[in-house]
Amino acid sequence: MDARLRRVTREIADCKNDKTSSIKIETIDESPFHLKGSFPGPEGTPYQGGNFEIDIVIPESYPFQPVKMKFITKVYHPNVSSASGAICLDILKDAWSPVLTLKSTLISLQSLLCSPEPNDPQDAEVAKHYMTSKASFEETATYWTHIYAGGPGSKDAKQLNSGDDVAIAGLEHTHVDRFVELGFPKAKVVDALRRLNYRGNNIRNIPDDRVIEELLK
Amino acid sequence: MTTGRPSDSPSAPQAPEVSNDGNEIHAGPPTEITPETDLASLSQSQLYELNQNLLEDSVPTRALIEDIAPMSVLRAEYENGSQSFVKQIDSLVAKGFDSIRRARGDGDCFYRSVAFAYVDSMLKAADVAIAAASAISLLESTFPMLEQAGFQKLVFEDFYDVLASLLQNIAQGTNDGKSLDSKILLAFQSPEISNSIVVYLRLLTSARIRTDPNEYAPFLFHPEIGIQLEPREFCEAFVEAVGKEADHVQMTALARTLRLNLDVAYLDGRSADGHVDFVEFRNSDATPLTLLYRPGHYDILLKSGNGRA
Repeated sequence: MDARLRRVTREIADCKNDKTSSIKIETIDESPFHLKGSFPGPEGTPYQGGNFEIDIVIPESYPFQPVKMKFITKVYHPNVSSASGAICLDILKDAWSPVLTLKSTLISLQSLLCSPEPNDPQDAEVAKHYMTSKASFEETATYWTHIYAGGPGSKDAKQLNSGDDVAIAGLEHTHVDRFVELGFPKAKVVDALRRLNYRGNNIRNIPDDRVIEELLK
Repeated sequence: MTTGRPSDSPSAPQAPEVSNDGNEIHAGPPTEITPETDLASLSQSQLYELNQNLLEDSVPTRALIEDIAPMSVLRAEYENGSQSFVKQIDSLVAKGFDSIRRARGDGDCFYRSVAFAYVDSMLKAADVAIAAASAISLLESTFPMLEQAGFQKLVFEDFYDVLASLLQNIAQGTNDGKSLDSKILLAFQSPEISNSIVVYLRLLTSARIRTDPNEYAPFLFHPEIGIQLEPREFCEAFVEAVGKEADHVQMTALARTLRLNLDVAYLDGRSADGHVDFVEFRNSDATPLTLLYRPGHYDILLKSGNGRA
């Protein structure tokens, strides 16, 4: 059996046999080199209560090259692309070591959820939101955990229907409505305010004509 | 991985796509990258992958470990450049180091060179089988240290098995007409075998540093920013990670673990009279293995008298 297959097979078995771990690894199709991992969101974070799934691709020269991982579950986090699920984490790149396993790498992703690194972001807009207003960021992250990862959601979330694109963008309905009333389409307003980081204290720095200018682009 | 780049979020907020069970979203397939693709439109991870692919496509033609070459080949590379390097090369030749065996400059060259020189030295032993067998038992005795350092057997035994089976081949001798020398060279040129051995040496180095903090902790510094690091941090980032070059601490730890006598000749072009400094690591009474260091790179230095050049 080739060394890569032997190692991956043992890693999967090792993870299955570990009853104390909350990390799961399963096969998706016939290939032992395309897997799905999952773990619960860490407690005491906006991701608590959610179940996060990870797409795992084992490259040909594994374990000498890093495993490829990205979030399948959408997650609102500075180091994860909100669009593609791509992850910014050193061990998945130049700090990879062949002693790392699928399980230990998934555990590292789980702890990345506990400790965002907004200074080394994958998603610059989410990172800006995090830096501007942590409370507002956490509300949005909790909301995403609720609608995408099956989390409980925040108690005071005003609207929990899954079509609330204003909440998904981490914006306030009152802010969006104000510009929609001027005759701009809602989707365009949400997009512009999201790009301008129209949140928390940052609103003071963004005069209305700056928003209009963005909307007229 | 830097700030200030455009976000890779879509330009319009997407309606949430919630599947039937309400908690699972599958991202779309990655965009295909063609020569027409505007690089600015790519996400950071796409750029990273693109760069990695380019690096892989430009794989150096140099073998992981090359056959022996005369020092004149190395000298020729410097003849039109720095004369202080040429003088230093000449002084090495005067000391009897007339040959070099090169390693690919991939950040693993210290470990790969030591591994090759270590295995190769057994072929020169009075009793090759005994030399190989005692190396196997020395390596087996490292398991408790590896486990104490926190490495899973599941992880290290694959790498160990590769090195052990190479040593067993040496202990058993050759019976297919091919020389052991050429078998070892082929093994070290095969990426899977060669890299497994490199990883095993990295693990031994790391385990030694992690399990003997009194000895090593005072010398663990970040190689670029100079701050002191905890053994775990240092080992994860600068010993266990692939392609991270070794410095004095790693050399000391590895030489001690393998009970090696190791000399490193520093070819740095800094001496006016061709003098070459040797850094010595002494752990036995055997003939030292000799490496040639040039800034950022290690090769194996040989005397044809005992290098079978």
